[in-house]
Amino acid sequence: MIDPSTLANVTLGLIQAVLTLLVAPLLLGITKRVKARLQYRQGPSILQPYRDLAKWWRKESVESDAASPLTAAAPALVFAAVFVATLLVPMVSQRPPLEGWGDLLVVVGLMALGRFVLALSALDAGSAFGGMGSSREVAIATFVEPAFLLALVGTALAAGSTDLGAIAALGVASGISWYTPALLLAAGAFAIVAVAETGHEPVDNPDTHLELTMIHEGMLLEASGPRLTIFTYAAELKLVLVAGLFAAVFLPVGMAQDLAPLSVLVAVGAALAKLVAAAVVLGVLDASLAKLRILALPGLLATASIVAVIGLASRLWLPA
Amino acid sequence: MSIASALEGLGSGQLLVAIAAILTLATVAAVAPRSRANPVSLSLALSGVACVGILVFGVSVLASGSSVVASAGDVLGFALIDVRYDALAAIFLVALGIAGAASSVYGIGYQAHGTTGNDRTAAAYPVFLASLALVFGADDAFAFLFAWELMALSSAILVVGSRPTAEVARAGYLYLALTHLATAPLIVAFAVLASAAGATGFSSFGPAAAGLSPTSRDVVFVLLFVGFATKAGAIPFHVWLPRAHPVAPSHVSALMSGVMIKVGVFGIVRFGLQILGPGPEWWGLLVLGIGVASAVLGVLYALMEHDLKRLLAFHSIENVGIILIGVGVALLAVADGATAVAGAALTAALFHTLNHALFKSVLFLAAGSVQSAVGSRDLNVLGGLARAMPVTALAFGIGAAAISGLPPLNGFASEWLTFQGLIGAGGNGALSLVARSAVLLAVGGLGLTVALAVACFVKATGMTFLALPRSPGAADARETSRLMGAAMASLAIACIAVGIAAGPVSAAIGAVADGLVGQSSTSAPVLGPAAVGVPVVGIDAVYAAGRLAVLLGGVAGLTWLVAMRRGTRRVPTWTTGIAPEPAFEYTATSYAKLIRLYFGPILRPAREVSVELHPGTPFPRTVRYRGEVSHVLDERIYRPLHRGAVGAAQLVRRLQSGSLQLYLAYSVAALIGLLLVARS
Repeated sequence: MIDPSTLANVTLGLIQAVLTLLVAPLLLGITKRVKARLQYRQGPSILQPYRDLAKWWRKESVESDAASPLTAAAPALVFAAVFVATLLVPMVSQRPPLEGWGDLLVVVGLMALGRFVLALSALDAGSAFGGMGSSREVAIATFVEPAFLLALVGTALAAGSTDLGAIAALGVASGISWYTPALLLAAGAFAIVAVAETGHEPVDNPDTHLELTMIHEGMLLEASGPRLTIFTYAAELKLVLVAGLFAAVFLPVGMAQDLAPLSVLVAVGAALAKLVAAAVVLGVLDASLAKLRILALPGLLATASIVAVIGLASRLWLPA
Repeated sequence: MSIASALEGLGSGQLLVAIAAILTLATVAAVAPRSRANPVSLSLALSGVACVGILVFGVSVLASGSSVVASAGDVLGFALIDVRYDALAAIFLVALGIAGAASSVYGIGYQAHGTTGNDRTAAAYPVFLASLALVFGADDAFAFLFAWELMALSSAILVVGSRPTAEVARAGYLYLALTHLATAPLIVAFAVLASAAGATGFSSFGPAAAGLSPTSRDVVFVLLFVGFATKAGAIPFHVWLPRAHPVAPSHVSALMSGVMIKVGVFGIVRFGLQILGPGPEWWGLLVLGIGVASAVLGVLYALMEHDLKRLLAFHSIENVGIILIGVGVALLAVADGATAVAGAALTAALFHTLNHALFKSVLFLAAGSVQSAVGSRDLNVLGGLARAMPVTALAFGIGAAAISGLPPLNGFASEWLTFQGLIGAGGNGALSLVARSAVLLAVGGLGLTVALAVACFVKATGMTFLALPRSPGAADARETSRLMGAAMASLAIACIAVGIAAGPVSAAIGAVADGLVGQSSTSAPVLGPAAVGVPVVGIDAVYAAGRLAVLLGGVAGLTWLVAMRRGTRRVPTWTTGIAPEPAFEYTATSYAKLIRLYFGPILRPAREVSVELHPGTPFPRTVRYRGEVSHVLDERIYRPLHRGAVGAAQLVRRLQSGSLQLYLAYSVAALIGLLLVARS
């Protein structure tokens, strides 16, 4: 006999896994479409990312003759890190698909694992572009990671747990009282670095292949065929991960608690709506902001940490 | 001499005697007449056996839960060897055993390469191991200081070697000088405690410390902290470390970074927390602040290095910082009676101590292999070694991922626990608001450290092992011997294994930590295989390392298999139509440039570019670039100190005229002075 709560969690977890894997390329399509429309262009179909993935998948992989076996292993490792991380974030249900396997620190750790492998593999071909993208990625991450943690820690204190399921559950239970000044400040901080982490304007331009401005694309420049497919798919899934993480902590509404068809439907709809909203926002940002000079980025990204610290201070020092 | 006069548990006692005997033999073997084939190898092999014994002994003490006591060698009524191995000491012995065994096996291969030569300073190696084993168990101030000095001197001999260059000799001298400066406050602190206790045994120090006035306890704590933090290499007491560690042979560097600096951590826990504690909150804040500063600055300076072993040495400073963050939170929490948080934070610190011994050893050993294969440890002339040296590359890569705190490896598990300790303390109402704010800020500091460590190890691994070789030496490199490979591989496997078994390992360490902070009810939850649970009041969280590792491996393996199905064509990297050259690659210096500029206010980079033109043309003939970062603490604290010390020595030198009459006059003056003091 399977206990009904376990059954609900397994089913909802599977729904989330399938949903995230299916919609990841769609989000990129939406972002690009929104950007194009705002620039008075027709833009590609929102299904174009799927076609790109399929096209690359059918091609052969070309690798540098300077490359080590890491080049072959890296796409799989990066994808595994991002995919497993999404399974630790509650998006459809209040409980993450892999409940009790890891908390928000593990999610941040898995993102670091993906970055480590990707940045390392970018150096493997010995091209200057790989080194350029890789060194920029790790330098920017030094501002992203502390801000992520400082933004999330406040909610962990409120929930008494770093477990994302517990945080989301408390958020749902608190209703409107969840949105304290501290939470809003943390959400603002998270949003700033989320843009950097997913590689959008004003930090990175996902459409560019101009050597001086590439960050993420610079690291993928030597990848081709199925490897490029997996790298790109992992990047698309990372947007789902970051947006899902934001929604689970800062916008925990509409999540399912049981297998009642209506609540599942609502939950899937809510999860989709949140992800699509994130994609639209990124499209608007891409269209309306210019890329910041890379030396000016700390000014923006350090702001996130400072805002997060102010949020923590207000949680700690202001009377509840 | 009554060896084993007071032995509890005959089996463990016999093991101790056997370890001592084997290490003695190993020392003798190294200085034996050169008739036999290779006495240094024999010495190292014996040392390796002794380390396995140390490991077995440590595990048995941990498993049995009872202490092992022994004493020997009375000198004028003071026991030189008076040991009591409890569970805390056993954790450090386990680290020593694993790192020591691997380093010894590695050393056999390493010295066969002719790197250390056939010199008699190798005899200091078993002595060094014995002194480390002794210092963790010392149960008496004299025994402790004896082992401490032995450790300092034997490691200094190993650093300097038999034919030192001027630079190496300077590093060794600085190391010895600072080690002894660190010993002075320890002696004073021990003297205060011993005079209060009326005995030199550590068992009497605890009650004596409780009877001291708060001010004296504060002074004793600060003295002990300065002494031990210097040994641990914490900033600002770190100057010796990045100079001494890189110049030692790699298997010695591994032990110095992996185990010896942990004596400092051990001392702070044993004396600051167990014997003196619980103290006021500011003790914890002091340790926490030094910890965060060491972690962030250590890794920033590491990023600026392009000497592979110096880079690793700076990472030791960083990791000591991470350990001290855990110790600081533990001190802070016990001060306010929050023993559950203290137990979790101390578990994190001790776990990270063990983990650092594993991954820092494998990194230093791999760096040694690179150095002996290429003849250089300058990242800007390495590169492309992954294909020629696959074992070394893989071992270094695993160590790099572990030290960068990436799941599912061991470094992540202990950093996860450290974060949990910080968050638990931040959410604990028993702590003052200032303390809670400080620990929450430390969350940001630790996050920054982890991100910088990722940057640094992408750089170190990439520049050493990937892309095209940057020099003929790197192009001709060959994998080093099987023994060295085996030593590195076993440590890398240990990093993975401890990472996956983080649950049981942290539970074992947690029991010890809870005992030290007076947390009676160990509420460590057992949540399936290898899950680490945090029983902190107000924080309950779980990290299931084993299951997560299997899932990660499974998903990655499947993806890899699916993507494999198409062929791969290998072609030269496209470099706009000209043949790829190593000069096109990013170098270690250029890789870190963005971070150098981002953290410019701390690093104060300076650069100098000079261009020489072909005469009469605008075309450059040579371009010279020189860049460096300044180490603010070295320049603002140590240089003035050094100048002051030399100046003071010059003044004192005036007393030394060389005239016998004058010296006799000094003696008479001193005698009269003493008599006057004694009379009054």
